[in-house]
Amino acid sequence: MVDVHKAFGDKEVLTGFTLSIPEGQTTSVIGGSGSGKSVMLKHIVGLLRPDQGEVWVDGENVSRLDQESLYKLRRDVGYVFQFSALFDSMTIEENVGMGLMRLGDHSHEEVRDRVMECLRLVDLDGYDKRLPSELSGGQRKRAGLARAIATQPKYILYDEPTTGLDPVTTAVIDELIIRMADELSVTALVITHNMTSAFRVSDRIAMLYDGGIRQEGTPEEIRESEDPVVKGFIEGRPELMESVP
Amino acid sequence: MDAILKPVRAVGRGAVSGVTALGRAGYLGVDAVHALKKGSLWVPHLPAQMARVGVESVPIALFIAMFTGIVLALQASYTFTGTVPLYFVGTLVGKTMVLELGPVLTGLALSGRVGANIAAELGTMRVTEQIDALETLAYDPVAYLVVPKILAGIIMFPMVVILANGVGIVSGWITSMALLDMSSQEFVKGLRLFFLPFDVRFAVIKSASFGLTVTAVGCAFGFHTRGGAEGVGRATTRAVVISSMIILVLDAFWAMVLL
Repeated sequence: MVDVHKAFGDKEVLTGFTLSIPEGQTTSVIGGSGSGKSVMLKHIVGLLRPDQGEVWVDGENVSRLDQESLYKLRRDVGYVFQFSALFDSMTIEENVGMGLMRLGDHSHEEVRDRVMECLRLVDLDGYDKRLPSELSGGQRKRAGLARAIATQPKYILYDEPTTGLDPVTTAVIDELIIRMADELSVTALVITHNMTSAFRVSDRIAMLYDGGIRQEGTPEEIRESEDPVVKGFIEGRPELMESVP
Repeated sequence: MDAILKPVRAVGRGAVSGVTALGRAGYLGVDAVHALKKGSLWVPHLPAQMARVGVESVPIALFIAMFTGIVLALQASYTFTGTVPLYFVGTLVGKTMVLELGPVLTGLALSGRVGANIAAELGTMRVTEQIDALETLAYDPVAYLVVPKILAGIIMFPMVVILANGVGIVSGWITSMALLDMSSQEFVKGLRLFFLPFDVRFAVIKSASFGLTVTAVGCAFGFHTRGGAEGVGRATTRAVVISSMIILVLDAFWAMVLL
C-alpha cells in the first residue's frame, strides 16, 4: 500500500499509509480501536477504494481494477471477518463451500470433501449441518477461517480474529493462524489490538497510528521499541502516548 | 445569527443526504441492470424469491381485497339507491377494484410486508458484513441478492393483484346478493357493462411498476444501511414510507398517461 489516504466525510482515517507485506510471512498491524485498521484491510480486497494512493496485490493496482478483475483477484484472498460474517440462513457446510461453488470447477462431492477437510483443519468436524447461530463465538471464528481457506488462497487477511474471545479460545485461534501459515504456506495479514496474539503469530509487526505507520519491525524490535506511542500501546500505558505532541 | 443558520444547515444537510441516497439508488439500479448478465448468480434464487414476495403475500392481499369488495358494494348501494339503477353496483365494484383499489391497496400492503422484509434482511446482512463477505468470495452481491428480489416483485405483484381483484369482485358480488337484494344477473350485468380488457392490462402494468418500486426501494435502503440495529430499523421504516409515497405518485402518473 503506497501513500493511501482515506476519509469518511470530515474524518480522515488513513493519511499517507504505506506498508509492504512480505511474501510467505505473517504480518500483524496493531493499533487502537478506531485507528483505521479494518479500513486499511478492506482496501486490499477492494471493498474500499482509496481517495488517494495505490494498493498493489500480485502486481495489480487494486484501486484501478474493474469489477470482474477484482472478483478474479479476490479468489486468491481469504478474508476472516471480525464477527465472522457467516451467512446466517445457511449451514456451516454451505457457508464454507460458498467460495468453491463460485469457482464453478468442482463437483458437489469435491466441494463437500474440501469443506470437510477445512472443517477438520479448524477442529470443527461434525459441525457441518449446524447453523451459525448454534455455534459459540470461537467456533464461529473457526468456521469463518474454514470458509476463508476453502479455496486455497495465496493470502489470508484476518480482521481482529481474537476480539471478544476468552484467553484459551484466543490461544486456539492463534495456533490456527500459525498452523495455516506453516501448513498452507500462505501470506497472512493480521489486524489486532491483542498484543499477546500479535507477538505469538507474527513474523513482522507494524503499528498504525494517526493514519500512518508509526513503527514497523520484528516482534523483538517492537517489544523493545523506545517510541512512547508504541511502548505506551503495547504496555497499556496511555500516559506515554498522551505525552506525544 | 446561529438561530437563523441552524434550520438552514438542517435543510441543507437533509437535501445533501437526500440527493446522496438518490445517487446511490441510481448506481444500484445501473448495477442491477448490468448484473442481469450474471444469470448463474440470480436464476437459482428467483423461484424462492417469487414464493417469498408473491405466494406468501397472497393471504394478506386477499384479506384486504375481500373486505374492500364488501365495503365497495355497500357504499355503492348506499349512494345509488333511489337515483341510479342498482346494477351499477357491479360496475362500480368491478371498475374500482381492477383500476384502482386492487393494485393500490395491495401495493401499499406489500410495501409493508415485502419492502420492510427486504430492507431488514439486506440491512442486517450489510451491518453484519455478510454483504462484504459475499464480495470477498467473488460473488456480485447485486446479482446474488438484489436482482432476484426485484424480478420477483415485477413478476409476482401483478399475479397477486389479479387474484386480489378477483376476490374483491366476488366478495362484492356475494355481498350484493346477500345484503342488497340484488340478483346475480343484475350484478353481472353491471360488471360487464363498462368492462374493457384494457382495464386488466392497466392493472397489470400498474402493479408491475409497484412491484418494481417496493422491491427496488427495499433493496436500495437495505443495501446502503449503516449504523447497526438502529440503522436497520431506520432503513426499514424509510423503505416502507418512500415506497408507499412512490406508489401513490405512480398511481396518478399511470392514470394520466394511460387513461
